[in-house]
Amino acid sequence: MAQQSTDYVTLVSSDGFEFKLQRSAATVSGAIKRMLDPISNFTEAQTNTCTFENINGVVLEKVCEYLYYNEKHKNNKDVPDMDIPPELCLELLMAADFLDGESCTAVCLISNADTGLV
Amino acid sequence: MSNRRPGNANRIRGPQSALTDFLAANNISAQQIRDDYNRRRQQAQQQAGADDEDAQPAAAQEDEEEAADDVPAPPPTTTNTRKRKRKDVEDEAIAKVKKGKEVDKKKQADKKKQKGKKKPKGSDDDSDDEYDDNLARDMYKKAPPAPGQLENCEICSKRFTVTPYTKTGPEGGLVCTPCGKELAAEAGPSKPKSKKAAGRPRRRKEESNKMDNLSILGAKTLQQMCIEKVADHHQDVEEFGDLPQTVLERLGEIFTKKRIMDPRTMKLFLRPDHDSIAIHDCAKLETEDYHTIFAVSPHVEKVVLRNTCQFKDETMEYMIEKGTKITYLQLYAANLISDAMWHKLFQQRGEKLETLKLQWLDASFEDEAVEEMVVHCPNLQRLKLKLCRRIGAPAIDSISRLTKLEHLSLRISQEVPCERLVNLIGNVGRNLRTLSLEHFPDADDTLLEAIHAECRNLTKFRLTENDYCTDAGFAALFADWANLPLLSADFSSTRDIDNNNPDGPEQAVGLADQGLAALMQHSGTKLRHLDIASCRHISHAAFTSVFDGRKQYPALGSINLSFCGNVDTVVVAGILKSCPALKKVIAFGCFNIEDVVVPRGVVLIGVPKARDFMIEQVGMEWVGLDAALGAMVEAVGAA
Repeated sequence: MAQQSTDYVTLVSSDGFEFKLQRSAATVSGAIKRMLDPISNFTEAQTNTCTFENINGVVLEKVCEYLYYNEKHKNNKDVPDMDIPPELCLELLMAADFLDGESCTAVCLISNADTGLV
Repeated sequence: MSNRRPGNANRIRGPQSALTDFLAANNISAQQIRDDYNRRRQQAQQQAGADDEDAQPAAAQEDEEEAADDVPAPPPTTTNTRKRKRKDVEDEAIAKVKKGKEVDKKKQADKKKQKGKKKPKGSDDDSDDEYDDNLARDMYKKAPPAPGQLENCEICSKRFTVTPYTKTGPEGGLVCTPCGKELAAEAGPSKPKSKKAAGRPRRRKEESNKMDNLSILGAKTLQQMCIEKVADHHQDVEEFGDLPQTVLERLGEIFTKKRIMDPRTMKLFLRPDHDSIAIHDCAKLETEDYHTIFAVSPHVEKVVLRNTCQFKDETMEYMIEKGTKITYLQLYAANLISDAMWHKLFQQRGEKLETLKLQWLDASFEDEAVEEMVVHCPNLQRLKLKLCRRIGAPAIDSISRLTKLEHLSLRISQEVPCERLVNLIGNVGRNLRTLSLEHFPDADDTLLEAIHAECRNLTKFRLTENDYCTDAGFAALFADWANLPLLSADFSSTRDIDNNNPDGPEQAVGLADQGLAALMQHSGTKLRHLDIASCRHISHAAFTSVFDGRKQYPALGSINLSFCGNVDTVVVAGILKSCPALKKVIAFGCFNIEDVVVPRGVVLIGVPKARDFMIEQVGMEWVGLDAALGAMVEAVGAA
């Protein structure tokens, strides 16, 4: 029952919450992108639904919020930080690492410090 | 007050009421209160009396005897009692007069103090004590109710002693200390919050982020935001759980950046199953914290500890004992380690060491230690010795025997003759993938020739702060070099230094026209990072011919042109055209760059924008490369 890839995809949390959001926003995450890639032929790609056994509803909601926030500010500069409740931070960090946000702009603190101007 | 219980308790006689009982149980006695009241009243009267006397200070000051005589003596009963009574009265009078004198003096001192603003202190004979008294008195005067008096608290109605620090309640009355504290606590937190909301620091932060390449365009990654948030709330974190090691390392870097890496937070990063520990600023760690590191994680292979001020001999001994698997060791500013302990490290743990990075060692680590290292660490692949003050040319000779070296970074403070460096390259150059030679002022073209002849695998090459190597030497190095294209090239500050002749000699010294052309021809296809800061003899013609818009440098992402005086708007436009992958251009001190329109995805740092003095300019989404170039052509044409 292979479906066409739709504009909207569904993300399901471990405790059963479903979040429907735009494909373009969701695929910012490397992991979600690969899961939904039609070429990979995963179940997720066929059903346009990703189930995350290790992310609960609260965290996934925040993730979805971020995905849209990121989409919204894609071309802006000086973007204000999203509000993240401190108690969610570590869980969200785990989820973010798992989902692999696109192009982690790694700042090389060390290299910056070492290549000081003369 | 101290004698309140035993003396007074005896005076209460007869049946006691329930109230008296209760008061007594609570260490309060009615007698005491009454006595206190009387004493206070008396005092107030005395004070008033003293002030009256003060009105005629001359009279009061005249003579104690006189004052005593004036007191009417009661009729004598017996000589003894009379004498005693007279004595009492005398004493009292003397006390009164003394008090009057004191008050008088204080008044005088007060006046002096007022004058003292003009007059230097100590011009008169009054002592410091009196000044202190004055100060205290001034404070007394300012407090509205007389301190020392009792007052009922406005909030809890408890009786308390008024002090100069007593707070005013919401109704305008006085409140006791506990209630005052509560009031302060309620009012306290709201103030700093409102201060934080100010706009300026925020903007500064944003600019700083741009300089760090943090946010060129679009939002930060979720990881980045979470990590910063965690750092903000570091004091609430109890443990990090099983965060992946890569994330933990990033967290560690941010903790260091925010200067919150202390003994408590450091422990959050320790896990027995980790094979690496990286603390980039150990300034707040104590000796025992280092012990904790190696006790908790004995399996570490990679140890990065920078600014290890408290890393002592005993710590090193403990590390040698526990850290049997260490292959990667980076210690910066570990100045408390003795030479003998360095020797011991190499002797006992040298065999496994593959990477050693030492920096900022002033007190120890001599040439012999380097020799010891070479003897006992045959497997070293990566070596960095920078700013180790005590090593010199003999160390270079020792390093020449490390045949497995692949990455070598040196910055030696002492003088090193060029032939030693040539010898070093001759011995280890063949395998080198990274070569960084900073501040070797005596190196000349023979070194470049040696590198040309020996090195085949270099990807990162740095030769900075030198004024001997000539442009021709650089050109010869890159011409037909059998080495693969470089990925990173840094030739900053290779130039002639002669204040009388700023343009340099006829035959250019340092990387100049020919050298730059040869470098870009050799490495242009792969080069990612180019640093030619302060290569001031590169001409405008050389820049425009190298970056002419037709030649393409597909990988070049960052370029530093600072203090290259010949760079102008045309050169920058050419660079933008020739480097499609460009992300960052640093151009401090290039005063000919004007009116650059920075295209999307590029940051230009260092060129002041006349309008609002912003140092960096970030490309806008709506400015494509062509549009930017078009705009610049117009601007240049107009000028």
